[in-house]
This record gives sequence, structure tokens and C-alpha cells, in this order.
Amino acid sequence: MHKVRPTYLEFPVFIALYLLFDWATYVDPLYGLNITPWNPDPALGLVFWLRHGWRAALPWLVALVAGELLVRGLPMGACLTLLSSLWLTLGYGLLGATLRRYFGDSGVFDNRDRLFRWVLIVVLGALLNDLGYISLLSMAGLIPAGQWGAAVLRFGIGDVVGVLVSMPLFWMLSSSSGRQRLIATVWRAETLGYLGLMVGVLFLVFGSIATSEFKHFYFLFLPLIWAAFRQGLYGTALLVFTLQACIGAMVKWNNAVDIAVAELQMLDAVLALVGFSIGIAVDELRKASNELKRTLRLAAAGEMAAALAHELNQPLTALGAYGKACELLLERGETGEVMKGAIQRMIAESGRAADVVRRLRDFFRTGAIKLEALEIGQIMADVTAQFLPPMHEHGVVLTVLPSAALMVQADRLQLELVLRNLLANALESVQEQPPGARHITLSVRRIAGQRRSGWTRHGCMQLTVEDSGNGITAAQAVRLFEPFVSSKASGLGLGLVLSRAMMEAHGGSLWAEVATHGIFRLALPLVRPDEVPAAALV
Amino acid sequence: MQHDLTIFIVDDDPAVRDALGLLLGVRGYRTAMFASGEAFLQAWQSSWRGCLLIDIRMSGMDGLALQQELLQRECPLPMIIMSGHGDVSMARAAFRANAIDFLEKPFDDGRLIAAIDEALEQARSHHSAQEQRERSVHLLR
Repeated sequence: MHKVRPTYLEFPVFIALYLLFDWATYVDPLYGLNITPWNPDPALGLVFWLRHGWRAALPWLVALVAGELLVRGLPMGACLTLLSSLWLTLGYGLLGATLRRYFGDSGVFDNRDRLFRWVLIVVLGALLNDLGYISLLSMAGLIPAGQWGAAVLRFGIGDVVGVLVSMPLFWMLSSSSGRQRLIATVWRAETLGYLGLMVGVLFLVFGSIATSEFKHFYFLFLPLIWAAFRQGLYGTALLVFTLQACIGAMVKWNNAVDIAVAELQMLDAVLALVGFSIGIAVDELRKASNELKRTLRLAAAGEMAAALAHELNQPLTALGAYGKACELLLERGETGEVMKGAIQRMIAESGRAADVVRRLRDFFRTGAIKLEALEIGQIMADVTAQFLPPMHEHGVVLTVLPSAALMVQADRLQLELVLRNLLANALESVQEQPPGARHITLSVRRIAGQRRSGWTRHGCMQLTVEDSGNGITAAQAVRLFEPFVSSKASGLGLGLVLSRAMMEAHGGSLWAEVATHGIFRLALPLVRPDEVPAAALV
Repeated sequence: MQHDLTIFIVDDDPAVRDALGLLLGVRGYRTAMFASGEAFLQAWQSSWRGCLLIDIRMSGMDGLALQQELLQRECPLPMIIMSGHGDVSMARAAFRANAIDFLEKPFDDGRLIAAIDEALEQARSHHSAQEQRERSVHLLR
């Protein structure tokens, strides 16, 4: 209330827009009164109320009275017009105040709970308002006896549908962040696609709608689902509003007042609700998946940081030692070749440290990897060497089967991380077996490419880590590569997820096979094509 | 007094090896450098006196394995272990195998010199004890 600075232009603009909507949707009225099957104007008023609170009451009253005067020519006399407009302002105002209390200025509903609450408030509030308004008109004798029910239904549907269909879009447009997001979401050629499809479908089925048959109406779900799946809530809001506007325009243009417009509106409101539900579910899913991606990237960066910290320690140690040596040399007044050499080497070491930091920064920023041609046998030898002491300690027999030298294109640190991770898992799982039955076997072979589109044409290297543990069951295999699923007491269960993500970033893959002993396979594209064309190997 | 004692640096990182060699050399210690545990084992002679400065993480044989191997061969050289990351279990293993100190890289010059002096002191006393023993054995004959 205190935060919103009134821009005085907003009030006349609101009244003008309100009148425009009132005029444009003054379709199929009952008894020449403002009882029409689609009233988007209250939606505009409610959004205005959300922005300005009770200060919106007076402009709204002015707009209501002006509507009666200009659009309908004051069908119920000045006194009753004022009275009924006052009632509507009060009713809408209560609805607006309730919405403002629950939603404040936090923008459009963005989860299913808030959607449900919004629908509930709008439906209950609009019906309450509707009952009072129609009863008032009825008491004044403007509605024929016995028609009270039909009038309540017509006006209620008009208001509820108007608000449900139009309010989200107005709501989005009312704040600058909402406008930005709406534009960012729908400003693409695809939007024209689903809007075009919607208009096309509407034209095609309009023939049957004109004769009150809605049997082809369900085709409108197609553009709706398109919009909801691709652009979430924002695309859906645009679509349902445009759809409603098109329906209104067609009814008005064709003067097809004999059709069951109210029923059509109900269908449209249901369409809108379905669309919003799908849109919100899609938005929530997308948000969750982005968050997970970010978490994973952070965790991967953490693992990378640990590996890089070791790399960083080496140049730092050298720098410290060179620096101290130079200090000692200076103290002695020796500034000859030894000193010069040490300083040159310090510069080289600081360059090496900077390179490590750069890689870490690149990784944080993009998950970038530094590819180099590596001989897989060498990497395996380096990594397995680190595992010899623990393997020995637990009585595990580690066998590395010989193979031809294969060059792969990979980031050394990441490939080592993945291999270490696989070996650590294998070491853990063989400990379920008695000593003497603990084997881990590493083997490498070359397989032909072209099995997956992502792999280079000259084939790939497949590395297999087999262990004599209990293996993976089909049920485990499904969940194995999901984050935060861990069979271990400690850790987040991110090891395999990260390993797979790293291998996929290399254009390779990592998978587990369902077997009675553990089998993990890793595939990476080979560096250069051999003399043998890949096709011959298939 | 120090001149008969050598510091044997075993680290697979050429820059670290070179820098430590220079620093200790400038300080007046005699140094010898090895690029791997295997290279050191191959060259090692039981007559060598001094101490060892070993990096724990090397490609090929790692520092702890070298330490174990030297203990088995009854090498009397006191050992200082260096590590890139402070791994508690590795430090424990190193101390259990009689390491003088466990230095976390990057380390401060003061700590390195303190550890080396302690190691050399131990080497000297071991050496003189051995000499004394040999002398007494000689006298008894």
C-alpha cells in the first residue's frame, strides 16, 4: 500500500481500458443488462486492485458507472445504476482484497498450491458478488420473475470465466518483471505456430459451434498442450486469452447470439484450467531440473576442485622454495646466473598455477574440459598404482588385461577421477566376498563406432571394470545413476552421476550391466582413424 | 659436520624437486634428487647417510610404498613425507612407519628446515651409535 507510487496516468488508462473491454465483450446480454457470458473487465480491475489496494475502488466505481452509461445507455436508471455499481465495487473489492492478502505483489501463481488457492478465491468471491448483484436487480424488478437462477448462472459464469481466462495475462503484464518474462518466453516463432494452429482449429470447428455442437471443441486442446508444454504458464496465459478473444470476436462478428455462449465459455474456462495446470507442472519441472543441474555442476566442480587443489599445491610448493632460495641468495649478495634461473623458473611455476586456476574457473563457468590425446593404458597404470596399497591390504587381486595401445581424446583429470571412482566402488563391493574371492579386472578393447550418432566414425574405446562383488540387480540398475541415491553409508551418491556426466561431456558414456558380478563399462571416442575403416569392423 | 650427510629428495614433479634442491643447496645442505621411488630403490646403497624427503603421491610407486619397501630393506635413513593434500589416514600410515614429519604442501620453509634438522640429528646419532657399536665390536675382538 505504501510502496506503490501512484502514477496518476494509470487511473484514467485503467478506466479507458475497462470501458474498452466492457464494450468489446458486451456480447449476448440478458435483458439489455450487463449480464454477459464473458467479462474480462473484472480481471483487469482485480489486477489493478492487487497493485493499488483500496485506492482502486473509486476508479473502478467510475468505470462501472461509465460502462452502464456509455455502453448500455443506462438501462436501469441513475439511482439503481449507482447502487448496483457500488455493490459490485464492494464485492470485487472484497475479492481483490482477499487476493491481495494471499498473493500480495509476489506476482502470478507459480505453483499448484497457489493456482488452486487463486481458483478457489476467484470462484467463491465471484459467486458471492454475483448473488448479491442479481438479487439486487431482481428486487428492483429488472429481471423477470423466475429468471433469477438463469441470470445468476449467466453473470456468474461470465465473471468467473472472465477472471480465470484473462487475469493471469493481465497479472503478468502489470509488473515489469512479469512483462520481461512473458516477452522472453513467448517472443519466438513458435508462439505464432501455436496461436496460428489455435485460430485455424477455431475456424474449422466454428461451423459446428455455431450450431451449438461442441463435438469438435476438443481439437483446441492441441494448441493448448503445445503452448503449455513448450512455454509453461506464460505461453498458456497468452494462448487462452487469445482463444477467448477470438471466440468473443467471432460471436460478436457473426452476431450468433442464438448459440449457447455460456456453455462455450465453461468449456473455455476448463480448457484454461487444464492449460494452467500443465503449464505450472512444466514450469515446476523445468525449475527443479535446472536446480538439479546446478547442484550437479557445483558438486562436479567440487570434485574437480579437490583434484585441482593437488595440482595447485605443486607449483605453490616450488614457488615458495624458489622464493626462499632467492631471498637467501640476495642476503649473501649473490645475484648471478643461479638467481636468474630461479626467478625464471618462478615465473614458469606461477604460469602453471594460473593455468590450474583458469581451468577451475572455466569448469565453474561452463563445465569446460581440456581435451588432450591420452594413452588409455598409461592412465590405467597411473590410477591402478594408487590403488595397489588398499587392494593389497584387503587381499584383492587386481588384474589389468593387456591390450593394444589406444589413444583417446579426454581431460586427464576427469578421466582419472572417473576411473578412481569406478575402482573405489569395485574395491568396496568385493569386500562383501571372503578373502580369496576378491578379484577386480580391468580390460580395454576397441569397438566400432556408428552405434550411436554422437560417436566419431572411427570407433571408440570400451573400458570394463569387473569385480567379483554381488553385482547389480535390475532394480538397482534403474536407480544407480540417479543423484542422491547411494548404497553407501557416507557420501551423496554423486560419484556415478558425476562420472557419467563427465563421460557424456566427452561424447562417451558410462553404464552398468545387470549381472551376478559387478560390470561397469565406459566408452570414449578414439583419437584418430586407423588404416582400417570403421565400416569394415562392424 | 653436515657435509657427510645428504638429503635425498624423491618427487615426481620436476619443478618441486628442482626448487627444493636449490633451496636446500643454497642453505648448504648436500642434496640428491630422484624422479621416482623405483629410481631411488635402484640407486640406493646401505652406506648412504642423511635423510629422505619423499612425496607421497607419485605416478608409479607412491611415497608410502617406498617407505615400506625401505623399512623392509632395513634402510636406516630417517624419512620426511610430503603430501599435496592433508589426508589424515595417509599421515597416520606415514607416522606408523616411523616418519619424522608429515609436511602438507605448500609448506613453510621454517617447518621444512626444522624437520630436516631433526631428521639429520637422528641420522647423526644413529650413525654415531652405529660407529660406536662397530668400534666396540672391533675393540672386543
